[in-house]
Amino acid sequence: MSTDIGAAHDFAERQVRIVDVAQRQIGIVRWRGDFYALSNICSHQGGPLCRGVLSGRLGATAPGEIVLDDTVPLIACPWHGWEFDVRTGRAILDPTLRVRTYPVRVAAGRVILDLDRVGAENVLASEA
Amino acid sequence: MYTGPIIDCDVHHARRTDEELLPYLSPGWREYVSDRGPAGIVPLTVQDGLPNPHGFMRIETYPQDGGPPGSHFLTLRRQVLDRADVRRIILTFGDDSHVAGHHNPYFAAELARALNDWSVDRWLSEDRRVASSILVASQLPDIAAAEIRRHAGNSRMVQVMLVDNPFNYGFGHPVFHPIYEAAQEIGRPVAIHGGAGGWANPASTGGGNVNLYFEAHTLWPQVVMTHLVSFVSHGVFEKYPRLKLLLIEAGSAWLPSLLWRFDAEYKGLRREVPWLRRLPSEYVAEHVWLTTQPLELSPGREQVVELLGWVNGADRLVYSSDYPHWDADEVKHVSARLPPHWHRRIFFENALTFYGWKEADLPAALEVPA
Repeated sequence: MSTDIGAAHDFAERQVRIVDVAQRQIGIVRWRGDFYALSNICSHQGGPLCRGVLSGRLGATAPGEIVLDDTVPLIACPWHGWEFDVRTGRAILDPTLRVRTYPVRVAAGRVILDLDRVGAENVLASEA
Repeated sequence: MYTGPIIDCDVHHARRTDEELLPYLSPGWREYVSDRGPAGIVPLTVQDGLPNPHGFMRIETYPQDGGPPGSHFLTLRRQVLDRADVRRIILTFGDDSHVAGHHNPYFAAELARALNDWSVDRWLSEDRRVASSILVASQLPDIAAAEIRRHAGNSRMVQVMLVDNPFNYGFGHPVFHPIYEAAQEIGRPVAIHGGAGGWANPASTGGGNVNLYFEAHTLWPQVVMTHLVSFVSHGVFEKYPRLKLLLIEAGSAWLPSLLWRFDAEYKGLRREVPWLRRLPSEYVAEHVWLTTQPLELSPGREQVVELLGWVNGADRLVYSSDYPHWDADEVKHVSARLPPHWHRRIFFENALTFYGWKEADLPAALEVPA
C-alpha cells in the first residue's frame, strides 16, 4: 500500500514529523536530503520514539572529546534515551533491538510511504 | 581445602619504628621531620581515622619482640609465607599506605619515595617471594608518575597502589592520568585499595561522611565502586588500553548488579560519554580484577558463587589474605566458600595472568635460606 503523505518541500531538513497511516504512527525523517520512515513505538519499553532528539551521531577519538558524525542520523527515545539509527531502525548499543522501518520515496515532489514493503535496513543491505 | 600454590595479593607490611624510615628521607626532609625538640618528630603517618574497638590487628601477628604487626619479616614469613605453598606475596603497606591523605603534598611525595626505597631495601631483599606495591602521593600526579618510572627496572615492584583520594574526584578524573600513563608505560597494573575515600581528606563515602568504623568498613565497596565507575566513564581504558586495574579489599559480589546498572545507564546516556566504544561491563571484563577478601558472607555459599559466576569470578578473582588485619581471610575459609574447580585459578593462576608472570618466574616455596 502506497500512501502520499505530503509535499517533499513541506518536510524540513533534520526534523521528524509523525504521521498516522493505516492506524500506525510513523516518524518521517528528512536528513541530508534523504527521507527515512520508522515506527514511533520504541522497542525498548514502548516509548514515543520519534518525539525524541534527532541528531547526528556523537563520537570521539579520545576521552573528553565530542565530535559529530553528521552522516549517521540517530534518534534518542525521550523515555530512556536509547539511540536508534534512523536508517536501519537498530538500537546502536543493542543490535538485536530494532524498530520497524518503512520504505519511503519521493515521486513528483510528493513523499510516498510504502507500508507493505521491506524496511530501510533491507534496502541498505541490498545496496551494499 | 586447597593445598596448591598461592599468590597472596594483599599483605600489609609496616615499619617497626619511625627511625627505620628516617635514613630513606633526604637530608632536608630528615631535618624537617626531626627538628622539634621535646615534641618529637613530625608524624610520618596521617593522624586521622576511625578506631576499631577491637584494634585493627590479629592478636598473634604482634611480633614477640615488639613493633607492630607486619613489621618483623621472620614473623610474617612464619605466619604467611611458610604456612602454605605461597609462591609470592604482594606487600601493600600499613598505616603508611595512606600517604595520599597527607595535607602536605610535598611531604607526601617524599614519604612515598622513601617508603618505596625502604620496601625495596628492607623487604624485597629478604625473600624472592616478596613483591611490593609502588606507593604514590597522588596529590602531585606528575611527581607520582616520575616515582613510578623510577621503579621500572625492578620487576618485584609490581603495581602502583592508590589508597586515599587527595581530591574530590573519582580516580578516573584526568588529573590522575599521569599516574596511569606511567603505569602503562612501565607495564605495571594499578591497584586501588579499600579505604580509598579519604582517611583524612575528602568524604570517606559518597553521599556524606560516616562517623563509625562500622559504617566506613561496611561501605568500602561503595568507595571502590565510585572509582571503578570513574575509571570507565572517563575513558581511562580507552586512553590506556594496556592498563589493568585491581580492586583490593572491597569484596566482589556487588559487581554484577553494578555492571547491570552501568550498562543500562550507558544505553541511555551514551551521548555524554561518546568516547566509550563498548559496554562498561566489557571494559571491566577486560581490564579489572578483584581480590577475594573479604569474601561476602552470603547465607549459603551458593549465593555468592552464583553472583560471582555472572562476572566470570573464576577468572577475575585473586586471593588475598589481608594479613595481619583483623578481618583477614584464611585459605581454608576461602577454599570452603568457593567451588574446588575455581581454586587453582583464584589462589594462583589469575594473579599470574594479572601481573603478567609465568609460573616458572616465581621462586618455589621454601627454597630461600632462613
